[in-house]
Amino acid sequence: MTAAWALVRANWLTARTYRLSSVFAFLAVLVPVVPIYLAANAMQPLMAGVIRSEAEQYFAYVLVGTIAYSFVSVSVGSLSASVGGSIGTGTLEALLGTRTGVPTILAGMAGYGLLWTTARALVLLGAGWMLGMTVSWERLPAALLVLGLIVAVHVPFGVMAAAMMLAFRTAGPLPRGVIVASTLLGGVYYPAHVAPSWIERVAVLVPLGYGARALRRVLLEGQPLAAVLPDLAVLALGAAVLLAASGYAFAAALRYARRRGTLGQY
Amino acid sequence: MVAPAPPDAGLAATYAAPASAAGRVAVRVEHLTKRFPARRDWPALLRHPARAEHVTVMDDVSCAVRAGEFFGLLGPNGAGKTTLFRMLTASVTPDAGVATVHGLDVARQAREVRQLVGSVMSNERSLYWRLSARENLRLYAALQRIGGRAADQRIAELLHLVGLESAGDRMVGQYSSGMRQRLLIARALLPRPAVLLLDEPTRSLDPISARDLRAFLRHELAARQECTILLATHDRVEAMELCDRVAVLDRGRLLAIGTARELERHYGDDRYALWTTRPDHPGLAELLARGGTGERRPPVPDADGWTCVHLTIPGGRAAAARALDRLTCAGVPVAGFERVELPLAELLERVVGGGGAA
Repeated sequence: MTAAWALVRANWLTARTYRLSSVFAFLAVLVPVVPIYLAANAMQPLMAGVIRSEAEQYFAYVLVGTIAYSFVSVSVGSLSASVGGSIGTGTLEALLGTRTGVPTILAGMAGYGLLWTTARALVLLGAGWMLGMTVSWERLPAALLVLGLIVAVHVPFGVMAAAMMLAFRTAGPLPRGVIVASTLLGGVYYPAHVAPSWIERVAVLVPLGYGARALRRVLLEGQPLAAVLPDLAVLALGAAVLLAASGYAFAAALRYARRRGTLGQY
Repeated sequence: MVAPAPPDAGLAATYAAPASAAGRVAVRVEHLTKRFPARRDWPALLRHPARAEHVTVMDDVSCAVRAGEFFGLLGPNGAGKTTLFRMLTASVTPDAGVATVHGLDVARQAREVRQLVGSVMSNERSLYWRLSARENLRLYAALQRIGGRAADQRIAELLHLVGLESAGDRMVGQYSSGMRQRLLIARALLPRPAVLLLDEPTRSLDPISARDLRAFLRHELAARQECTILLATHDRVEAMELCDRVAVLDRGRLLAIGTARELERHYGDDRYALWTTRPDHPGLAELLARGGTGERRPPVPDADGWTCVHLTIPGGRAAAARALDRLTCAGVPVAGFERVELPLAELLERVVGGGGAA
C-alpha cells in the first residue's frame, strides 16, 4: 500500500508542477456545469417522465450520470495511457525491477487519476447542489461505495487495455468501445429504456447502466444500499469476473513482453 | 589464462573454473540462449504470414562471476551485453539455459532475484523529471520497501555518495545528463544490491565525474561493500583497470574471458612505438617486410624531426628485443622504443576477428 501511495504521490507532485495546467484542469471541472444546468432545465418538461424512476430533476440526472461516467473514463483509459507512457520512457521497466508486485504498481499508476476524478466529482456535486440540485449528503459514504464498484468493474477494461499496450504497443479498440458504449447505453444522459428494444437488450451488458442507476437512487433519492442491492450485485459479480480475467491477461502480456524482449524497448 | 569461446560444449568447464577457484558464485549463466523474432516488412509478412524468423542475440553463453568480483563485459554494439543484463534482471526470459543470481533462478525466482540485483540500464527518461532527486529516490525507496527514517538516511547517504547532495532538491529536468546518470546509479544502489549491473555508467559523465565514479565503484562498492559488479563498457580504462576479469561478447557469443591483462597479452601484446628520424630507413622497411606492420603517428615529424612509428611485432618481448637489435644494427636512429597499449577498438576487433580463438 505504501508503494502504491508513493506512486500516487509522485504523480500528484508531478502534476502539481504544471501550474497553469492545474488551473485549467480545475476550471474545466466547473465550466461545463453551467451549460449542463441551462440545457437540462430547458429539457426538464420533456425528460421528467422518462427519468422518474431515478431522479426528479433532469439536471441532477445528467450531473450524476456525468460523475459516474468520469469514473468509467478514467478507469478504462488512464492505465493504458500510463503504461504506454512509462514503456516509452523506460520507467515501467525500472518500476518492474523493484521489489513491488505488479498489482501494486498498476494500482499506484491508476491511483492518481482516480483520486483526481473523485475530487472533481465532489466539486461537481457541490456546484450542482449550489445550483439547486437535491443531494442526500448523508448517503455520501454509500455513494462512494457505489462509485467504488463502478471503478472496480471498469478498471479491468483498463488493465486489459494496458496488457494490449504492453504486448502490442496499442490499447486496441477496447477502451474506446467501452467508453462509447457507456456514453450511449450507460444511462448518462437518458435511460436505456427510451431506446429501441434491441438496443435496450444490448444495454443490459453495459455496467455503467447499473452503476449510474444505483448512484442516482442513493445520492438523489436518498435510498439505502439495500434498495440498490441487485444493481450492486451485478457490479460486484462483473468486477470479480473481469478482475480475474484482466489479471490473467496482464500476466500473459508481461510474459509475452519478457519473452519477446520488448519490455525494455523504448 | 584467456579462455576462448568453446567451439563445442567440451570447454564449458573452463567457464566454471573461477567459481571453484575462489569463493561463492554470485552470477552463473549456463548455456544461455535467446532469440528474438526478427522484424519483417509488410510485403514479407503478407507473402509468408506464418513464417517465423529469429535473430540470435545470446548463443549458448556460459560463465560464472564470483561474489565480490568486478566483471567487465566488452563487445561491439549488438553483442548481447544489455540482453544478458536484462535476463539477469528478469526483464527478458531466456529461451534455453539457466541464469542464477546467488543460486536463485532468474526465470523461476524472479521476484527474489530482484531483491538482490540493482541495475543501471534504463535511460534518463525513466526518472521522474518533474520531481527532485530526493523525491525520485523517496519513490523508489518505497517501491523497494525501505521506509521511514531508514529511507531518509539512505537517500541522504546516496545523494552524498553520488555528489548530488547540494542539488538533491532541484528538479531532475534541470540536471545535466551526467547528474541524471549519477541519480540513476543512486537509484540502483538504494536497496543495497548484492549484485550491481552497470550498462555504460560513465557514458554521459565528464572525465572528472567518470574518474570519481570509477573510484567509488572500485573502492566503495566492490572493495568495501563487497558488491558484485557486472559492467558493460566501451571504455578501456574501465575494462582494464577496474575489472578483475572481462568477457568479450560478439553477436551473442562469448568469445573470450579472462583478466584484462591476460586478454591484452593474448590479443594485443605486440604493439610498439618507435621514435626515429628515419621512418623511411631500409632497415625499418626490412623489419616490416619480415611480418611486422607499421604506421606513422603523427604522419609528420615533430619539431626536432622525430617521427613515431607504431609497429606490430608478433612474438612477444623477445621478438621485440630482437627487432630493436636488428634496427639499431642496421643504423636506424632510435630515440625511443616502448610497448604501447592497443586501443580497445583494435583489441575488440582482434578478438572478434579471430573468433576468440587462442
